[in-house]
Amino acid sequence: MTVQIERESLIGKSLTRVDALEKVTGRAVYGDDIKMTGLLYGKILRSTRAHAKIKKIDVSKAKALEGVKAVVTGRDAPFRGGEALRDQPFLAIDKVRFVGEPVAAVAAIDERIAEEAVKLIEVEYEDLPAVFDVMDALKPGAPIIHEELHTYEHIPIVQPVPGTNICAKFEFERGDLEKGFAEADVVIEDTFTFAPSHHGQIEPFMAIAQVDYNGRITVWVPNDAPSRLRKDLSDAMKIPQDKIRVISPPYMGGGFGGKGGLKVEMVCIALALQTECRPVKIRLTRKETFEATLTRHGAVCWVKMGAKKSGRIIACHSKLYYNTGAYAEKGPTVTLHGCESGVGPYDIPNIKVEGYCVYTNRPVAGALRGYGLPQSSWAHESLIDMLAYKLGIDPLEIRLKNALVEGSINPIRGDELFSVGLKECLEKAAKAIGWGRKRPPNRGVGIACEYKATKTPSGSTAFVRIEQDGSIEVITSSVEIGQGVRTILTQIVAEELGAPPNLIKVSVPDTDYTPFDASTTASRTTFHMGNAVREAARDAKKQLLELASKLFNISPEQLDTWNGKVFPKGGGKELSFKEVITSHYRAGLSILGRGSYYPNIPGTLFSAHSVFYMYAAHAAEIEVDPETGVITILKYAAAHDVGRAINPKACEAQIEGGVLQGIGSTLFEEILFDDKGVMLNPNFRDYKMPTTMDMPKIIPIIVEAPHREGPFGAKGIGEITLVPVAPAIANALFDATGVRMKDLPLTAERVYFAIKKQKEAVK
Amino acid sequence: MKQRIKLFVNGEAYEVYTEPNRTLLDVLREDLELTGTKRGCDSGECGACTVLLNGEPVNSCLILAPEADGQDVVTIEGISRPTLPLHPVQEAFIEKWAIQCGFCTPGIIVSAKALLDRNPNPSEEEIKMTLVGNLCRCTGYVKIVEAVKAAAEKMRRKIS
Repeated sequence: MTVQIERESLIGKSLTRVDALEKVTGRAVYGDDIKMTGLLYGKILRSTRAHAKIKKIDVSKAKALEGVKAVVTGRDAPFRGGEALRDQPFLAIDKVRFVGEPVAAVAAIDERIAEEAVKLIEVEYEDLPAVFDVMDALKPGAPIIHEELHTYEHIPIVQPVPGTNICAKFEFERGDLEKGFAEADVVIEDTFTFAPSHHGQIEPFMAIAQVDYNGRITVWVPNDAPSRLRKDLSDAMKIPQDKIRVISPPYMGGGFGGKGGLKVEMVCIALALQTECRPVKIRLTRKETFEATLTRHGAVCWVKMGAKKSGRIIACHSKLYYNTGAYAEKGPTVTLHGCESGVGPYDIPNIKVEGYCVYTNRPVAGALRGYGLPQSSWAHESLIDMLAYKLGIDPLEIRLKNALVEGSINPIRGDELFSVGLKECLEKAAKAIGWGRKRPPNRGVGIACEYKATKTPSGSTAFVRIEQDGSIEVITSSVEIGQGVRTILTQIVAEELGAPPNLIKVSVPDTDYTPFDASTTASRTTFHMGNAVREAARDAKKQLLELASKLFNISPEQLDTWNGKVFPKGGGKELSFKEVITSHYRAGLSILGRGSYYPNIPGTLFSAHSVFYMYAAHAAEIEVDPETGVITILKYAAAHDVGRAINPKACEAQIEGGVLQGIGSTLFEEILFDDKGVMLNPNFRDYKMPTTMDMPKIIPIIVEAPHREGPFGAKGIGEITLVPVAPAIANALFDATGVRMKDLPLTAERVYFAIKKQKEAVK
Repeated sequence: MKQRIKLFVNGEAYEVYTEPNRTLLDVLREDLELTGTKRGCDSGECGACTVLLNGEPVNSCLILAPEADGQDVVTIEGISRPTLPLHPVQEAFIEKWAIQCGFCTPGIIVSAKALLDRNPNPSEEEIKMTLVGNLCRCTGYVKIVEAVKAAAEKMRRKIS
């Protein structure tokens, strides 16, 4: 019987999330939900000083408390780690460098006893002069935070400057900057500041570590890169990677880059080494999550642009200073990425970008969605508007005039660009906001755009397994953080293999079983892991068709699959995957397909030009109340070039979330410190994150400039969704009031005084 | 000094011995092993621990265990049961892509259910006001509000 299968592609379909049912019923398991036998609970004693020598630690009273099973200090676990630069000890050794740094820790039979014991630990400090401001940290004579900077191991692209607080610096130059400025009709420069902010994941941090009888370490931790964590721990502890196993809890309650690198598990491991094989769990309070995990880099960004009267920008120089806090963490590569978008997505022939990643005695700054771009973008997307104003050119027009297009040369890395959807993003965002219409007083529109690289080179490997019952498992170390990884990978495998999504399951990462993946960061997963699972699905399908060809008695090329069935292309009888496998292997067998993706671009970690670029343009319509300085966002359009939207709703969801997160750090989020380096607002009451009442009308717009190497043309989206928010809003404020803000956040207080000052200046 | 309390959770009676300064959240998650209710801040600021206490949405991290003695509690696990249909709010969250990491989801669904129980036709403003105490960092709230609206409509249609 001839069967005509209606083949509806799954690519471009907004399949409902494969993990939705578990999440809406409260059955999804997160790190803190995991129970195990013999579990001990840990608590951390943290430094109260920003910069001090540790003269003495007395743990005797803590050790004597009943129920305490281990007490550790830095010397019990003298390891130092870090992806870019190995500068961060598991617990402070001899010296503390920020308020909140772990100094000692206790493992006990319950949390209350651990807390009591921590209070019994006595520490004697000798204060050292501290430095908090990034520019102060660069001045000659500034306190040196890492005297041993010259001894730290680091990845090739990082160049620390020993004897200073510069842990990394980068420089990109192209063309002839001096000549460019000399030939410009208008030159304009200014300095912009960006306040540190926090990820605000609703799930606080936690980890469990256990050391078994053979000294093998297992860590259960919500971390965005299990394979990388294994390597980071191996590098820090100088033990082979196979002595370490990283297991992801089934779900993670938000990451945004914060739950990556070495975090709580460092202290868990230090304790677990002393608890005679009993696992140790530490869960951080909300206060600790704020004070001692990660923040976004505060930054000072200076940018100078030179343009012709026509609006053509011919020179740009930017200097970006990132305040990385006490330890490098991802600071160096954050700085690098800030530089990679340091002049904006524009075809500028003469450029120079200098980036400095600077130590201070602030809490550690690291990866946060945007990865260095919110800061550099804030600067150049504001300045280009100022330039447009000076030239009498519309801000949209100046961007369209200079925008990178298909075939442009990347001003920073010099690579030829393809899959460039920037102009379409600008035009669509502008149209959606109603660009060009005159607005009443105190109302205005602003636009901003950007492009972002992904970490290159980086690799992903995956397996696709077809079981004898026809069910399919995708075996991957990609982490479901909420962005929809499991759903997207399901769609790609379903499409490639010809299987219905409900037969497909995606694994939970466990480095003993799931193969290497560089990380679930940098918006790289759809592209890299998507390609890997696609290849693995293709491989599994090939094997399946070879088996089926023996049953159908025709060559495999004449067969195809869809909806979990194998059938001849010309029509005819169909057999399910299960029937194909069990007809052959009557006593049972699996089919295992494998796939890998590693871009064909040479280089070491982060050293190469990007394998793809994401483009975005945002437009904001705002109204400001001059009596209070409160900015109300009336409408917000966000256009994103994703290459190909595998799941449009998933893309919209990322845009909406990113935009509101960006609105938070634009209008009211700011980590505040006192003059001793103590965080003043480590809670949700005083660190205000957007609520439902702050949600404006958001118009997400998907643009597709397909990428020749992306799976079905797809690139990425998440990282760049909050990047243009701050300049779009500030540019709208300028349009509304003529007031130019250069420091974030644009709190009502700051806006009010700026408007007042301008009114007085006019008088 | 432990105290005996009796709780009715999701229609079942439980007896728990607990120190009086532990919270309802502690008891639910650790003693009753109902881990669907989440701990986000332990200070009543994020709403991830929202449960219904005698039908009213509360931050369970702010309710001391003895305060819940003899009271009726509904957690996310009680909003629907396996093998039975999902609550319209849960269905709507799935259909509208209103979930990302899912950590805030139990608290929000409980809050939304309580809203729709007392107000079957809430305006967008009323929905936003109800959920103002539930922080979400992933979604930007857009699809969450859409889902609650859709659930309300579904529930109204069922009645009529």
